[in-house]
Amino acid sequence: MAKKSLRRGAALALSGLLAAGALAGCAAESAEETSSGSSGSTGSEAQTIRMVAAQYTDDMQPYYDDLVERFEADNPDITVEVEVVSWNDIDQKLKTMVQTGDLPDIGNLNYFSSFAADGLLYRADELIPAETLDDMVETFIENSKYEGVAYAVPDLASARLFFYNVDIFEQAGLTKDDIVTWDGLQAAAEKIAATVPDVTPLALPLGPEEAQAEFLIWAASNDGGYYQDGEWTITSDANVETAEYLQGLVDAGLTNPAPATFNRTDGAFALFAQGQAAMLNGAIFLPSVLEEQGSTINYDVAPFPTNRADGESITLGVQDYFFGFKNEGETNKEAIQKFMSFLFEADNYAGFLEAAGGFLPATKSAGESLSSDETLAPYIAVLPNAVFYPGTEASWPAVQGELQQTIGLAVEPGADIQAILEGVASQAE
Amino acid sequence: MAILDSAQPRKREKNLLKRFLAGPLPWITPMLVLIFGIVLWPVYEMVRTSTLDIGGSGAVRGSAGFANYLELFENPNLAGAVSRTFFWVISVVAITIFISLFLAQLLNAKFPGRRFVRYALIVPWAASVIMTATSFRWMLDGYYGIINRILLDLGFISEPIEWLGNADTSFPWLIIVAVFVSLPFTTFVILAGLQTIPNEVYEAARVDGSSSRKTYFSITLPLLRNSLFIASVINLINVFNQFPIIWVMTGGGPGYTTDTTTTLMYKLAFRSQDIGVSASLSVVNFAIVLIFVLIYIRASGFGRKED
Repeated sequence: MAKKSLRRGAALALSGLLAAGALAGCAAESAEETSSGSSGSTGSEAQTIRMVAAQYTDDMQPYYDDLVERFEADNPDITVEVEVVSWNDIDQKLKTMVQTGDLPDIGNLNYFSSFAADGLLYRADELIPAETLDDMVETFIENSKYEGVAYAVPDLASARLFFYNVDIFEQAGLTKDDIVTWDGLQAAAEKIAATVPDVTPLALPLGPEEAQAEFLIWAASNDGGYYQDGEWTITSDANVETAEYLQGLVDAGLTNPAPATFNRTDGAFALFAQGQAAMLNGAIFLPSVLEEQGSTINYDVAPFPTNRADGESITLGVQDYFFGFKNEGETNKEAIQKFMSFLFEADNYAGFLEAAGGFLPATKSAGESLSSDETLAPYIAVLPNAVFYPGTEASWPAVQGELQQTIGLAVEPGADIQAILEGVASQAE
Repeated sequence: MAILDSAQPRKREKNLLKRFLAGPLPWITPMLVLIFGIVLWPVYEMVRTSTLDIGGSGAVRGSAGFANYLELFENPNLAGAVSRTFFWVISVVAITIFISLFLAQLLNAKFPGRRFVRYALIVPWAASVIMTATSFRWMLDGYYGIINRILLDLGFISEPIEWLGNADTSFPWLIIVAVFVSLPFTTFVILAGLQTIPNEVYEAARVDGSSSRKTYFSITLPLLRNSLFIASVINLINVFNQFPIIWVMTGGGPGYTTDTTTTLMYKLAFRSQDIGVSASLSVVNFAIVLIFVLIYIRASGFGRKED
C-alpha cells in the first residue's frame, strides 16, 4: 500500500516536472517561431507579417479576413496574420508588445509619435508607394510627421459638429441661428432652462473618456488650443478664458452637474439619445450611436458656436494611423509595403471605410467619390477649418492622459484653473 | 587507467542521480519551479523594470538608476494617494471586522432559516466584484440612480445628488462597497473561529456566574484571536490591492481625488505613459504591504505563542 502510494507520488512529481518542461519548451518554441517569422529573408522564402488592427466596428475582422485571403492568393510567399483588437485594449496591447520586444509588423492606432521617437518605425515613404502617398490629404500627412518626417500614414479621420435636439429648440423658440456664437449659446441655454426645465441644456462630457477632445473643441473655438505655432500653449490666456466660460455655464446649472466624471458615451450621448439633453458636441459617428440605442429624437447638426476673433467656426479633426515596425535587418519592409499598398487600392480602401462605418477617407480620390454623400457632406465642408491634436509631439500621449484626468476639474465652480492647466503642461516635454 | 578514469565519474553520477531521485527534491521541484516562476521572478522583473528608462512607446531606452523613484516622489498626486490608501485600508478593514463580528455571532446562533441567511451572505462574495461595482456605479448615478430616487421620494433630499461627482461623497461610497464585498469572507472566517470554541468553556463560565458581556470579552474574543488575525491580514492585503471597485466607480476621479496607490500605479503606466515610474510605485506598494503585514504581525503577537 505504502509502496503504491509512493510510486503514485513519484509519478505525480514526474508529471509535474514534465509539464514544467513542456511549458518551457512551448515558450522557447513560440519565441523561435515569431523570430523566424519576422526575420525571414527578403528572397522568395515564405514570410509572415503580423498586423494589430483597431476594431472600429464588428465588421473589421470579416473585412480583414477577406482582404488577407485575396492578398495571399496574389502573394503566395507572404502570410498575413491580422489581429483585430478593441479600442479599450489596443493601446496597452501594442505597448506591451513593444516592451517585450515581440513587435508586430503593422500597427493601427490613434497616435504614433512615441513609437517614432524611439526609432521603431519605417518612414511613410517606405510604407506605401509614392503615388499612394501623393493621394493622401496633405493635412493628414502633416499630422503624421515626427520631427519633420512622416512615420505613419492616416487610415481614416473623423470630424465633429454641434448637435441639437430640434423638438426642444422649437419648444424654447430657438433656431440654429441662435447658437452661432458663445453668447448666443449661453442665451439659448438659459432660455431652454427656463422653458423646458426637465432637460439639461448642454451636455458637457469632460470625464476621462474623451475630455481632451471636448476641451480642445471649446478652446479652439476661443482661439486657444494645446499646441499652436510650434509651441505648447496649454496655459494660455485663451484656455483659461475657455475654462472660465464653461465654469460659468456649470455654475448657472446649464450643464450636467459634475462634468469631470461625466463621460461621453454613457453620459452625454445617452442623455442626448433619451431627449434629456438639448445640445452637445457631437461627432460624425453620433448618428449611428443614436440609431444603435433606438433613439427616436429629432436632431440636427450645426457648426460649433464660436468666440473666435475671426468669427469662423472650427471643427476637431481626429485621424488614426497605420505604421510599420522595423524588425532586425529590416527584412519585413517589402512585405509590409506590399500589404499596405494592397489595402490602399481603391476598392479595398473603400471596403475598409465601409467596414469602419461612417468615417472620412484619408485619400483624396476616396474623398472625391464620397463628397456627394449627404451625411458626410457637412463634415467634409468644415474640414478646412479643422484643428488636430498635436499627435506629432512625442509627449502628446502623456499630455492627453493628464487632460483626461484633470481638465474636467477646471470647469467646476471655484477651481484653480491656472494650477490645473500647469499640471497638464508639466507633462509636455 | 583511462577506463577507470571515465568509469568512476559515471558511477558517481549514477549514485548522485539515485540519491537525487530518492530524496525530497523530485517531490518539491514542481513547487519550487512554481514559486520561482510565479512569485519570485515577477518580483524580480518588477524591481528591474523600476530601474529602466522606458519610453512612451514601451521601448526600453536603457537604465534609469533611481531616476524613476525620484520622479515618483516628485509626483504631486503621490502624497494624497498614499494617505488616502492608509485611510482606505484601515477604515475598510476595521469596519468590515466590526460588522463581521456581529454577523458571525448571529449566524452562529440557532434560529429557523439560518441556513438561508448563511447562503444569502455568500451572494456578495459569489458575484463578480466588477458587477457589484458597476451596479453601485449606476445606482449612484445622478440622472438615473435608484438611490437618488429613493431619497427623493422619501424627502431626504430635494434634488438629485451626483454621488460620484466629487470625492467627498464618492469616497465614503467606495468604502461602503469595499466593506460590502469583504463581509462574506471575513464573517465566515470568524464564524469558523466561533465554532472551534468548545462549549465546555462557556458552560464553565456560566457556572461561575459570568455575565454574557464578560463571557464575550474574556472568552469569545480572546479565543477568536487566530481567526481575527487571519481575517485582518488577508483583508488588509486584498483591500490594499483593491482595484476594480475604485476603477469602475470613480476611475480614481475626479482628477486624482479618489486614487489609492494601486489605481495611481495604473494611471502612471497607461495615462501618463510612464511604465518605469509606475513600476517604481509598484515596488513602493509592495514595500507598504509588507510593512502593513509586519506591523500587524508584531502588534497582534501572532507567532509568539509557539515559543
